Amino acid sequence: MLSRSILLAAAVALAAPAAYAAPVVGQAAPAFTVKDADGKTRSLSEFKGKTVVLEWTNDGCPYVQKHYKSGAMQGLQKGASKDGVVWLTLISSAPGKQGYVEGAQAKGWKATNSAGSTALLLDPAGQVGRAYEAKTTPHMYIVDKAGKLAYMGGIDDKPTADPASLKGANNYVSAALSDIKAGRPVATAVSKPYGCTIKYSE
Amino acid sequence: MTRLFAKLLAAFTLVWALPAAAQPVDTGHLVAELVARDQSIAPGATTYVALRQKIDKGWHTYWRNSGDSGEATRIAWTLPAGWTAGDIVWPAPKRQPTGPLMNYGYQDEVLLPVPITAPASAKPGETVTLKAQATFLVCEEICVPEDAELTLSLPVREGLAEPNPQWSGPIAKTLAAAPAPAGLSGAFAKQGEVLALAVTGEALKGADLADTYFFPFDSTVIDHAKPQAIERGPDGLTLALTPGYAFQQPQAPKTLSGVLSVGDKSYEISAAEGALPAGAAGLGPPARTGGAAGGSLGLPLAAAFAFLGGLILNLMPCVFPILAMKAASLAGHAHERRAAQGQGLAFLVGVLATFLALALALIAVRAGGAAVGWGFQLQSPPVVAGLALLMLAVALNLSGVFEVGSSLQGVGTGLAGKRGLAGAFFTGALAVVVAAPCTAPFMAPALGWALTQSAPAALTVFLALGLGFAAPFALAAFIPGLLSRLPKPGPWMDGFKKLLAFPMYGAAAWLVWVLTLQAGDTALARILMAAIILALGAWLLGVAQRRHAGGASMLASAGVGAALTLAAALAAIWPNYAEPGAAVASSGGGGKADVPYEAYSPEKLAAAQAAGKPVFVNFTAAWCVTCQVNERVALTSQAVADAFQQSGAVYLKADWTRKDAEIEAELAKHGRAGVPLYLVYGAKGGEGVILPQILTEGLVVRALKDAQGR
Repeated sequence: MLSRSILLAAAVALAAPAAYAAPVVGQAAPAFTVKDADGKTRSLSEFKGKTVVLEWTNDGCPYVQKHYKSGAMQGLQKGASKDGVVWLTLISSAPGKQGYVEGAQAKGWKATNSAGSTALLLDPAGQVGRAYEAKTTPHMYIVDKAGKLAYMGGIDDKPTADPASLKGANNYVSAALSDIKAGRPVATAVSKPYGCTIKYSE
Repeated sequence: MTRLFAKLLAAFTLVWALPAAAQPVDTGHLVAELVARDQSIAPGATTYVALRQKIDKGWHTYWRNSGDSGEATRIAWTLPAGWTAGDIVWPAPKRQPTGPLMNYGYQDEVLLPVPITAPASAKPGETVTLKAQATFLVCEEICVPEDAELTLSLPVREGLAEPNPQWSGPIAKTLAAAPAPAGLSGAFAKQGEVLALAVTGEALKGADLADTYFFPFDSTVIDHAKPQAIERGPDGLTLALTPGYAFQQPQAPKTLSGVLSVGDKSYEISAAEGALPAGAAGLGPPARTGGAAGGSLGLPLAAAFAFLGGLILNLMPCVFPILAMKAASLAGHAHERRAAQGQGLAFLVGVLATFLALALALIAVRAGGAAVGWGFQLQSPPVVAGLALLMLAVALNLSGVFEVGSSLQGVGTGLAGKRGLAGAFFTGALAVVVAAPCTAPFMAPALGWALTQSAPAALTVFLALGLGFAAPFALAAFIPGLLSRLPKPGPWMDGFKKLLAFPMYGAAAWLVWVLTLQAGDTALARILMAAIILALGAWLLGVAQRRHAGGASMLASAGVGAALTLAAALAAIWPNYAEPGAAVASSGGGGKADVPYEAYSPEKLAAAQAAGKPVFVNFTAAWCVTCQVNERVALTSQAVADAFQQSGAVYLKADWTRKDAEIEAELAKHGRAGVPLYLVYGAKGGEGVILPQILTEGLVVRALKDAQGR
């Protein structure tokens, strides 16, 4: 019996990790439940009936810094909030890796970055990130009022860390939010995300 | 004299006017510099200047398509009027998997050559300065954008340029190796969740396609991180890619272009949407499949796994009867150390020789292109029938019906020793033949790996497997304390031997059952007849042996016995067995709560996945005892039946009892060379999860529950 359980453990160790299906625009956005910076449990379902923006971030990433140091990201967040849009910023960096925050640092994140997001969600195990197949920071998603994925991809069409590129960039997120607000179909619903690799747990 | 001096001076100045291998710039995580292929350039000519990146260990820069993240290196040139710079000639990149993501880029050192063309108006004798602003993202775990202002001075001179002694070689090599069109034609088609890319052409015929990989130029057309399953065809290959974001847009891509990397060669290809050419598929995966699992094992690890697998194999149900026999013989020699040691070694040699022979046969058959895997010999009904009779013969021998060797009289010490050695060797061989269909944990990835490697590597793994398998008995013979603990030989041994005959009868019965699954009911009559004839022959032989021992000659009886034995063996293996009707294979066997299943086919799997159902695929074979035990223990319980019902999971059974190229290909895709293999696909599609090779009820129930939400 003992040997059997040893065998079993050995065999389990050999089993391949699970793989997930890719999220698809127009279909239900993957549900999730995670803790926010204040330790409160938050889930996507509590925002049903509202447009929700998901933003993956990492303080140390030069591509994220391009959007935050210039104030462009905060502007986008505040503009969206004014329109009643829920903005959730997610960090999927694993403990010990770049961008990971906890405790006071997480609580202070909003103030440090003068962020205008509704909440900072902590995903150190990378469950939400993997469910959305989030690849980069930033990586943006918009979930519409019906809970369907309306946009996924990059924040704009200038895949570089150079702050000068903000000028003249076509911001896909603000364009998609305008489309949704006006009741139009989202013109660019999918685009290439760009930035730093999300520092997932192994 | 003065003229000579002037010439020397001119030559000297020329040397000084050589392209100063421009100042390298350390940008933090790499050293960047511009290097030229030639010492000079003629007016109107084109040369190559490369951006050289000497990258810190562990860091990397990116290809033109950086993959899931990252950013390609860019060069902005500032050139004198009339001078032009072309695009970077990108060397084929390397894959850089990070967590669930995949990037494409370069490590250590890379040369990015750029064609530079001088205007016809360029004045010989002048030296121009080429300026490049190079911008690149360098990443390890974290990413740092770095840039460098680089310059290179290049003299303009008429005539053929002298090669730059340091860089002309490396740049020429980089240019020659860079992916270029090679007359390959491509086509792609989106087939549900798969993007099939077919490529055909001379360059692919007969090539080793095992490491083939498609690097797309556009970063939105495929999901970079997903494996690219390879299927060979007579004229090329088909890759099963996963469509990327671009296919979710209203205007799906109409062309797929990029670099097809085949071993150390790479080609630029462009495929249009359309019908896939015949000749790009049909031959299964290449011999060296990467697969999702097992592909990354190295030889030492594979050999270690194989050794462990061999050890564990001793505990698998299929080898038990044989080991019982070995135990009996060991007990017989427990108190004669030298004899025991000789036997231990003979057993080891028998095991190793048989493993090697089987491995060689397997490699040879696979080299011939046949789709066979581990345990293949048991896919042939005549072999199974032959083995069934062999088991019966061994059982009859243990029961004392007849003796192996000359006669009972020959129990002289020398002879016994000799016969003992041959017997031990034979036991080893028999153990391997019967053990082959049992894959033990650790053994499966090692064998899956071995069968995709070169012959020496494969043989090493098989040898390690044999060593592991034989180790317990061989070592037992050499550890004195161990043997002396066994009871002293005596009359009890005869009883013990006769008791051990029964597992052997069991083994024979099991093989007969396998045979009927393979070859139908008519085979049952035939094998049973052959068995009875064999038993009669064995009895007659035994009678002759005893008479002979008593001094009487019973040549006739012995002759008839031997003839009958031979006839039985012949009847079992010739003529070949007919293929049974399809109905035979689906006889479920009286489980406690049979879960309804369907025969596996890739189409059924796809259909169930399209319907949003979880799928459980059981790769099994009647001759695989581990598979049978799993089915009885874990797959027929009420709890599992309930779990199937609750999760709505579809149960597909891939029966490999007989040869089946489709199943073989599917096993290979998962890095396996044999059964069992259990895959659970989630309700939302995606890759299957591999379950352990020994199942429990709880494990299956949990896997099905997980699959429901996945």
